[in-house]
Amino acid sequence: MARYFLPRDLHPAAWWVWALGLSVAATRTTNPWLLLMIVAVAGYVVVARRTDAPWAMAFRMYLYLGAVIVCVRVFFRLVFGGAEGSTIILRLPEIPLPAWAAGIRLLGDVSAESLLGGLYDGLRLATMVICLGAANALANPKRLLKAMPPALYEVGTAVIVALSVFPQLAESVLRVRRARKLRGGASGKRVAALHAIIIPVLEDALSRSLQLAASMDSRGYGRAGLVEARARLLTGALMIVGLIGVCVGVYATLDGSTPRFLAAPVLSSGVLVALAGFRLAGRRVRRTRYRPDRWHLPELVVAASGIGVAAVMFVTSTVNPMNLNPSLITLSWPALSWSPLLGVLLGVIPAVLTPLPASPHVPAEKVAA
Amino acid sequence: MRAPSVVRLGPRSAAVLGLASLAGLMMFVWPLLVRVEPQSMQHGPDAPFVFIGILPILIIVVLAELSEGGMDSKALAMLGVLSAVNAALRPLGAGTAGIETVFFMLVLSGRVFGAGFGFVLGCTSLFASALLTAGVGPWLPFQMMASAWIGMGAGLLPRRVRGKAEIAMLVGYGIVVAYLFGFMMNLWFWPFITDAEVPYHDGHISYVPGDPVLENLHRFAVFTLLTSTAGWDTGRAITNTIAILVLGPAVLATLRRASRRASFGAVATFDQDLRATALK
Amino acid sequence: MIELDHVSFTYHGQTEPVLSDVTLSIGEGELVLFAGQTGAGKSTLLGTINGLVPHFTGGHLEGTVSVDGETTRSRPPREFAHLVGVVGQDPLAGFVTDTVEDELAYGMEQLGLAPQVMRRRVEETLDLLGIAELRGRALRTLSGGQQQRVAIGSVLTTHPKVLVLDEPTSALDPIAAEEVLATLARLVEDLGTTVLMAEHRMERVIPFADRMIYVPGTGGVVDGTPAEVLRDTPIAPPIVQLGRLAGWDPLPMSVRDARRAAGSLRSSLGSAPSRPVGAGPVLLSSSDVVVRYGPKVAVRAVSLDLCAGSVLAMMGRNGSGKSSLLWALQGSGPRRGGTVRVDDTDPKSLDSARARKLVGMVPQTASDLLYLQTVADECAAADVESGATPGFCSSLLDRLAPGISRSAHPRDLSEGQRLALVLAVQLSAAPRIMLLDEPTRGLDYTAKAALATMITDLAAEGRAVVVATHDVEFVASVADRVVVMAEGEIVSDGPTGEVLGGSPAFATQVAKIMGESWLTVDDVRSALPQVVR
Repeated sequence: MARYFLPRDLHPAAWWVWALGLSVAATRTTNPWLLLMIVAVAGYVVVARRTDAPWAMAFRMYLYLGAVIVCVRVFFRLVFGGAEGSTIILRLPEIPLPAWAAGIRLLGDVSAESLLGGLYDGLRLATMVICLGAANALANPKRLLKAMPPALYEVGTAVIVALSVFPQLAESVLRVRRARKLRGGASGKRVAALHAIIIPVLEDALSRSLQLAASMDSRGYGRAGLVEARARLLTGALMIVGLIGVCVGVYATLDGSTPRFLAAPVLSSGVLVALAGFRLAGRRVRRTRYRPDRWHLPELVVAASGIGVAAVMFVTSTVNPMNLNPSLITLSWPALSWSPLLGVLLGVIPAVLTPLPASPHVPAEKVAA
Repeated sequence: MRAPSVVRLGPRSAAVLGLASLAGLMMFVWPLLVRVEPQSMQHGPDAPFVFIGILPILIIVVLAELSEGGMDSKALAMLGVLSAVNAALRPLGAGTAGIETVFFMLVLSGRVFGAGFGFVLGCTSLFASALLTAGVGPWLPFQMMASAWIGMGAGLLPRRVRGKAEIAMLVGYGIVVAYLFGFMMNLWFWPFITDAEVPYHDGHISYVPGDPVLENLHRFAVFTLLTSTAGWDTGRAITNTIAILVLGPAVLATLRRASRRASFGAVATFDQDLRATALK
Repeated sequence: MIELDHVSFTYHGQTEPVLSDVTLSIGEGELVLFAGQTGAGKSTLLGTINGLVPHFTGGHLEGTVSVDGETTRSRPPREFAHLVGVVGQDPLAGFVTDTVEDELAYGMEQLGLAPQVMRRRVEETLDLLGIAELRGRALRTLSGGQQQRVAIGSVLTTHPKVLVLDEPTSALDPIAAEEVLATLARLVEDLGTTVLMAEHRMERVIPFADRMIYVPGTGGVVDGTPAEVLRDTPIAPPIVQLGRLAGWDPLPMSVRDARRAAGSLRSSLGSAPSRPVGAGPVLLSSSDVVVRYGPKVAVRAVSLDLCAGSVLAMMGRNGSGKSSLLWALQGSGPRRGGTVRVDDTDPKSLDSARARKLVGMVPQTASDLLYLQTVADECAAADVESGATPGFCSSLLDRLAPGISRSAHPRDLSEGQRLALVLAVQLSAAPRIMLLDEPTRGLDYTAKAALATMITDLAAEGRAVVVATHDVEFVASVADRVVVMAEGEIVSDGPTGEVLGGSPAFATQVAKIMGESWLTVDDVRSALPQVVR
């Protein structure tokens, strides 16, 4: 037990599974109580388990973003007419638009039902976004990169390089801007000044990239065994066949007139075949990872709690859909029953049953001064 | 001048890229393609959520294919550094509506380093930027795909054009992609921000699943015109134009110099056996 | 261990080979010092060892290079990663990841070592280099010396048989350089790795170098023990120059050797030459200058006057406030208190275009000021910015460093040439005061000598020049006044002879050998009796 709670960072994917579970749950309901409950659960876990790293601070931005989404949704209902429903609460002068506007009208009567519909829908979208924000705040993006599948070895390395070069760029911009004044830069035209800042920074960065490449080469980057031509052929074939399947499947999914067996079955098997090709492409990369993140019991608990929330929502929606989607035809307080509420509360488990985060992160922007 | 083979696009990679782009495109424009048969109503509303799951898979498959033969360390370092530059440029425009600074560098890099590099750069730039700003979400694959196309398209523009004509061409391209990007992102997101799935509620600008393509397109065009074209998209187009006009020549020269200095695909030769062995 | 057999190398598009017919054999456990001017082909020679030349750079290689029986002809550099570890000049540019631990593990990850092995080796390497307390730190936040130690550690984790270091200290200040060289000296003792090192602070490496290879730039190499090779190389540390002057044989390789030999020379010399002190009119006067960044005080009420015709050297460790003071004097940097007066004007009150006509400055990274595609464009832009007659900047550049092609790209110039270009750009505004922040970093002996001439000329034209630097030998050759700063305050201020001679920390090599009144080899030369001279 003591070992279970030893402070450490959980596998970032566990947090993502948890957060995706919550947001999938949010897609199943427009009941504002449930949605707010999901937001509260996500927020509580974030507060309980985040570090002081810069990305952990982003959660607040997601809350603002959620608020903006709700406002935009309601605002659209106001502007583009929301007269559906019987309870008109606001009569605005309608602005007629010419015929090309396809019957769109601006302003006009606004009904309570319409506004409420906008609010519920906006709240649902906002909840989904906030859940993703929770994942962004809890999962260390650098560790996420470490967990990249082998087939993305090169691209993953490029992103790692980008992340480590980024703060150096910021320093470089500050330095060049300061130096610019020594050449009388402040008096020039603004665009010309931009030129004088961007070019030295870019030159600096590009020559750095060449040194970096040399260093990577001599340290064994890309040291992979040769891949047999046949294996490569198979990889390519799998990818192409899989993608053709995906194309057909996507089209069939959208076009209801095509035979149904072309939709979901072809789409999913296409995806599977393409993924098999992807896995095979990763075979060529023969390298190991230093201190890899592994899935232990706490990770499973976190992931299970997210999946549990989603599962409860799905089950409830088949049993009692009205509870999850309150009626907009007759206005009333949305009712709330126990089963989905308890389901959502499953999501709070990680706030208790996970070890505390370990690393005292050195804030990345500390040096910028 | 020959385009440097920074990220090679062989016939096989091109096929994978093309198929994935086709599928990706359908996922962007799904609201226009949906044709609902009365009896199979249930597939309409689920589709966008399924796509959110599938698009990332498409992207990783393409990226895996593009780097399948191994990627040159110089190309990779260049990719990393330019992604960082793009990620650094991106927040410059945040806060001010429509000033989107990420594209001009993408267009110029795609132009200099070719279509394959442009595609990967579009993906890595947006991904790195999302990691840095903690902005990972379902919108990310769509942004990555759209920027990847922008980078790739810049690499596919005619090579021969140089000098003033080149800048003019890139400015034109910058304007077109600015509007296209806004259009595509809106199209994908349109049903979400208006009402896709509340059947008893037809807002007038709302997307109506199963309506004829033209009617939906018409409605969408009005929606996008009213909500973003005037503001964001035009702002983006203006930013692209100014940035390419003012910084384009110098940035192009700098990137080309870097490309020369890196001598991509450098040929190492030896005596005795004078057969050339390329770096790879 | 390493065999070079009749190696010649030519870059693409060049007719002259950089290396021609070089044959070398380097045994296991040897420490070989490579010397030569910038651009002579040292880096190319070192690059051939793991195949970066020609696989990475392109070009034509004749002959064979083999390490531990493996030839670079058939295998790319990455296949040598477990054999040859390479450390470059700028550690930060070579880092792939962003924390110390990840960086140490990176090479091993590429080789596909088992996780337990990696874990063990990372711990061992942290201890070996004495950087265990830095393990979780972001690489960017480390000091230069710490970064270079991490860079060395990151190649050691793969247990290479050969370590190649290309000027590992040239981008570092002397204290950090000491740190790195001391670490290397210990490694050589402990590990028995073959070490190939290019280093311009030769005197630090010579005591433990088994062998020295001088690359003159003509394609060949001079190979031998340090004492043999240094007998007639054009570049040599001051000890060797002194030894040559005095005709000592064998040449002394350390200060201790030289001191033992110096007795007779000391007694044969007359009195030490007095160094002229520039005492023109005061051009800039400042008092109680305070610079602070938030709670951190960088400059603590410093008062300083600059006189026409004088070269002032500003010394002190990193973070002692030298740069902040220079920026504050120029007027572009922040200043919280105190006054600065040039011709009764405060440069801070002027806009930057006019301030630079009063006080010019070359910042630490001089190339930050360059943003155009050719030298000619830069000069023309400088004329416009300074309101000078067209061609003025170009003529200045010709005086400072003749022979720079006007069509060259500024970034393709050598460090020294680029410095001259920036200096010319700044001088085109005709300021009477010129501040240089760490101009000597990354310069070799020849470029430093050229810079010294430029600075002396500037002072001779009646300007006041300030040079912030760590380089004691350089200070001894150009400055007539030295200010030492510590913790934002001036802790000593006086004529060069007094400040440098009297302090063990700042004594030049010659002063360590000959006593405090002798600072440079030139001092000794001028005092030699005619017979010996």
